Amino acid sequence: MKRRDFLKTSAALGVLSAMPSVSFAKDDEVRRFRVQYFFNIKYPAKEYPARLWNPMPYNADYQHVRILNFDGNYNEYDLNNNNEYSANTFYAKWNKSDMPKIVLMEMVVETKYRTVPIDKIEWASKQNLPYPKEVKKYLLPTAHIPTTGIIKALADRIVGDTKDRFERVKKIYYWCTAHTYRDKKVIGCGKGDVRKMVKPEPIEEIYKKGYFGGKCTDLSSLFVALTRAAGIPAREVFGIRLGKSHFDKALGKSDKNGFANITTWQHCRAEYYIPGAGWIPTDPADITKLELVEHLKYDDPKVQTLVKKYLHSWEMNWMAFNHARDFVLYPRPVQYPLNMFGYPYAEVNDDVLNYYVPKSFEYKITSQEIF
Amino acid sequence: MKKFLFLAILVVFSFAAKKEAIIIVNGMTCPLCTMAVKTSLKHTPGVISAKVILHNKTATVIYDDTKTTPKKLLKAIEIVGYSGKIKEIKEVK
Repeated sequence: MKRRDFLKTSAALGVLSAMPSVSFAKDDEVRRFRVQYFFNIKYPAKEYPARLWNPMPYNADYQHVRILNFDGNYNEYDLNNNNEYSANTFYAKWNKSDMPKIVLMEMVVETKYRTVPIDKIEWASKQNLPYPKEVKKYLLPTAHIPTTGIIKALADRIVGDTKDRFERVKKIYYWCTAHTYRDKKVIGCGKGDVRKMVKPEPIEEIYKKGYFGGKCTDLSSLFVALTRAAGIPAREVFGIRLGKSHFDKALGKSDKNGFANITTWQHCRAEYYIPGAGWIPTDPADITKLELVEHLKYDDPKVQTLVKKYLHSWEMNWMAFNHARDFVLYPRPVQYPLNMFGYPYAEVNDDVLNYYVPKSFEYKITSQEIF
Repeated sequence: MKKFLFLAILVVFSFAAKKEAIIIVNGMTCPLCTMAVKTSLKHTPGVISAKVILHNKTATVIYDDTKTTPKKLLKAIEIVGYSGKIKEIKEVK
């Protein structure tokens, strides 16, 4: 992908009038965010080279990158989606030197509440249409997403003899949201390593008593693995929260001017595919975040409202980057494959910089909602 | 006394040998895993350098065999949650 594909003029922004603050469920709400990145790649040596890969948002019905500008003192840069999942990537390379290694980036992103009507999904599911070729890869396992063994057995136990695809998804979704919790001890969004989450125990025990802790990548990955194992294409969607949630502060907040430091606000969601309805958004992990932050039980009416919404919707105070798992970035890093691309990734020779610690990496990301 | 110390140092240096261990590391699934393994190896007394590569799951460790052993290198890998198996050990000139 060339740079011009990313760059958009600001003219289109004028077309969209500022929308008043509306309820969570308003489908036509358009929100605009000015997102700024600052990188200053750090390493404990006087002179060192560095390479940086940063995940970039894609364009879709529910999100558009209207403006993108960047600058820095890199020796090389590249904007590409040259990888197995077409994940948009900003790449910068610095030669060995004692100079600070800087990138500044600014983008304006428009988002719109994303939902697929339940009746449309139900109708499409009843047609039982074949899966398109390009979707079938999302039925396959990856290094972190097993679809056989204990996962297949658990998926079979959850869906039982249900044949309808959407009904199968619902059973998995409701089981996942009722049997998972947000574990504060997990670093970042978690590794999303389903093999390590589900221990080999008798299926009936896991089904009835299993209670899996993790963060959003872990919980989304569990949902994705079970859904794939049940024969329905599914994938994680990596992205970052941009600002205030109209539903609850647990799902995103900003100051009174709409500003937020979002450096650590990476968030993983999920999608599943029903032919005739397309990719359908879901977010089982945010149910657990609402429960934890607001000290609510699963059967609390507010939690149940979100459970019903997030079966087929996303509030778009968030922007999506990609759905890549266990893949190889371009240009190829020393260390590969990368298990997920929701965070900036950087290397100094063969050393990986810890993207879970922005202050040592170093990067900062902010968002200003444009009212 | 000074002569004795000098001779002792000379003897130690005469017998000190740099070796290279190539270790297959199991359980690494992401780039950050390599940093955990590398950091643990480098904190092991006697390790001179360590390079860990994810895609071939290999750690290449240069060490002073008067100060550490292959067993201790494997222990350093185990401490951070992975398992290692020695593939090759050779002298480094």
